[in-house]
Amino acid sequence: MNRVKVLQAWLWCVSLWPVWLSHAVPLDCKDETGSLIQCTSISQEKLLDRVIQHAELIYRVSEESCTLFEQMFVPYPLHALRNQGGTMCHTKPFPIPGSKSEIQQISDKWLLHSVLMLVQSWMEPLIYLQTTLNRYDDAPDALLNKTKWVSDKLLSLEQGVVVLIRKMLDEGILTPSIFEHTLTPYDEPSPEIPESVLRDYNLLICFKKDAHKMETFLKLLKCRQSNKLSCLSY
Amino acid sequence: MAAQKQRTERTAGKLVKFSLPVSDPSRGPHFTGCRSREQETFRCWWSAGIFQNLTEPGALRVFYRTKNALSEWQECPDYTHTVKNECYFNKTFTHIWTSYCIQLRSVRENITYDETCFTVENIVHPDPPIGLNWTLLNVSRSGLHFDILVRWAPPPSADVQTGWMSLVYQVQYRVRNASHWEMLDLESGTQQSIYGLHTDKEYEVRVRCKMSAFDNFGEFGDSILVHVAQIPSKESTFPMTLVLIFGVIGLVILLVLLIFSQQQRLMVIFLPPIPAPKIKGIDPELLKNGKLDQLNSLLSSQDMYKPDFYHEDPWVEFIQLDLDDPAEKNESSDTQHLLGLSRSGSSHVLNFKSDDDSGRASCYDPEIPNPEDLASLLPGHSGRGDNLPLVSRSSLSIPDLGVQQTSEVEETPIQTQPAVPSWVNMDFYAQVSDFTPAGGVVLSPGQLNSSPEKKKEEENEKKIQFQLVSDGAYTSENTARQLSAEVPPSPGPEQEYQTFPTQAVEGNLWNGEYLVSTSDSQIPYLLPEATPAPILPPVSDYTVVQEVDAQHSLLLNPPSSQPAICPHSPNKHLPAMPTMPMGYLTPDLLGNLTP
Repeated sequence: MNRVKVLQAWLWCVSLWPVWLSHAVPLDCKDETGSLIQCTSISQEKLLDRVIQHAELIYRVSEESCTLFEQMFVPYPLHALRNQGGTMCHTKPFPIPGSKSEIQQISDKWLLHSVLMLVQSWMEPLIYLQTTLNRYDDAPDALLNKTKWVSDKLLSLEQGVVVLIRKMLDEGILTPSIFEHTLTPYDEPSPEIPESVLRDYNLLICFKKDAHKMETFLKLLKCRQSNKLSCLSY
Repeated sequence: MAAQKQRTERTAGKLVKFSLPVSDPSRGPHFTGCRSREQETFRCWWSAGIFQNLTEPGALRVFYRTKNALSEWQECPDYTHTVKNECYFNKTFTHIWTSYCIQLRSVRENITYDETCFTVENIVHPDPPIGLNWTLLNVSRSGLHFDILVRWAPPPSADVQTGWMSLVYQVQYRVRNASHWEMLDLESGTQQSIYGLHTDKEYEVRVRCKMSAFDNFGEFGDSILVHVAQIPSKESTFPMTLVLIFGVIGLVILLVLLIFSQQQRLMVIFLPPIPAPKIKGIDPELLKNGKLDQLNSLLSSQDMYKPDFYHEDPWVEFIQLDLDDPAEKNESSDTQHLLGLSRSGSSHVLNFKSDDDSGRASCYDPEIPNPEDLASLLPGHSGRGDNLPLVSRSSLSIPDLGVQQTSEVEETPIQTQPAVPSWVNMDFYAQVSDFTPAGGVVLSPGQLNSSPEKKKEEENEKKIQFQLVSDGAYTSENTARQLSAEVPPSPGPEQEYQTFPTQAVEGNLWNGEYLVSTSDSQIPYLLPEATPAPILPPVSDYTVVQEVDAQHSLLLNPPSSQPAICPHSPNKHLPAMPTMPMGYLTPDLLGNLTP
């Protein structure tokens, strides 16, 4: 009897083997023709490079979108808002240090988690931004395309960071946290432009800043991976 | 240091650069700029402006506040001692990604003269790159252009290795002391190539950098001078041109020589000889291969039968054959026959029966006679051994004419026709056997029953080769006339004379020809006569010309003893001809015929 049971259990395990395999592979890998194939493994270094490339691109495109929007809809005197880095950006669950020394003292784990958190926090606002930009009368196509592109790339960036976390930190898949976007009203609502425009402008500025954060963190991480001593010491 | 740097002045909320390191004197106390070099520290400068009473240190103070959370205004952590009116924020006070607001206050009066807000990364102006140098990539073949590779190192203050700052560089170059700088695209690496520089010109190259995705360029680094001496290559170009010129001249000379040497050939190629005259409307090919009916219709439409023609054609008058007196003929020599010398009184006319045509077969085209046939026509020469061909065609330009005649003679019509008219026995043709020194032609009687093959051999041995010169597609009027008359069809191609009707055109060519002796003797006119086909009803070579119709075609009367072979043309409106002696038609007689 026991033997039979053991045999059954073993058969169950064997039959469920593909299921375990599929669980173990969170990402679907597709070759050029589009058919699903076994994912080829990628080295951690290469993955980090690709993640950094993503972040760099997103950052550059965010800056271009901000400039486009500014040229189209924001009157000249208010361009200073950009230098101010956005009067209000939604608050994060946890503060991110700004000084280099502080940042360098942050652990790898924290860096990665910060990046992930940043990416996840911007996914919804970007979708919202796309819908609002579509309502503009004369929004340039380039702007719309860029915001669309950025939200797509953000998804892949998130996936990459997740894999990176799993590889580097040996952690499981994190559940995406839901962020509440608390947009504090402006101190001085400007009569020159409608508030919605100001809000969107601010959103773009804030996103650019956060994209810069992501890129910096990831680069710092890369430095640490390659050469631990010089990166940590200052 | 602050005075040497470019000051930034905040006007209407935007940082505007201006090159003059002096602040605007017309304003009151204000910030002249804030800068960060490496994104880790930053400085701010201010100026008292027109308020000169506030220039002493301590009169104006800077307060700052970060906009994250609620923070209070704090005073500048460090007023630089060495530099006037500068506030320095060190690493601990520098937070990126945070907004700073600074205020310029006069504490004594408690007045805020100026306020500005910024984030540190937006005021970063990186230091210039260091270690700018260049290496020569290549020089162009002509020696006029060259390419260089410029290299530099990032500024030491910028922490690029850790990724704290991502820099992009911009290289500029210009011809030394020129006013305009050439700008190249932004480069994220630390080297760049410059292409297309001119040798013998001195260039100035400089580089600056900025943070990627930000707008503020740093200062330019020191310029370097680039100069590549031009390799003296002018001597190489000079001989090249000389060689080219001489080569062209040589070619031209060669061409001219070629043209002159091959002038004749070239003349033929470029200026081809004028083709022989042709009958209007008659295709030579048609004459060769066409049907008799077509030819008849064609030629009847031709307006060729002019009465004057007879006058122009001298040879027509010469040869006369007398059919009436064969015995007489046999007695005299052939030469005399031909030349008519030994005759006295009687016309030495080789008349074929009732044929007034001047020596030509009436209804058949007198083609070039086969030498065997000619010989066979000579009366009383049957079985004669030597046969000197009357006509030897060494080169025939007449299409198919002679070939058929020489090759296909199996038997002469004369031989197979017992009812052959009496002219067969006459000396119609005489063989030229020799030439007199005076230039006369010695005729010898031909052979009647010689075989064609033997005759062919003898032909080849003939020393005097006669060349037929044909006049192209010329068809004499006589032949054409005969063609227009209806003639019975040729029985077959075996007998060359049978084919005369159908090959009328070909044979007509003969009429336009004359024998040319290669020995340059007097050219005699020989009129070969075509013997009619044996199978056909016996035909006389001569037929009395009955009439001349309106189209200038002679209407021939068939001889009474023989069936009509030359049917009359339908038009018989001409007056009947007077009875004519058995002779040829003289031109004056022809004149009578003309309507």
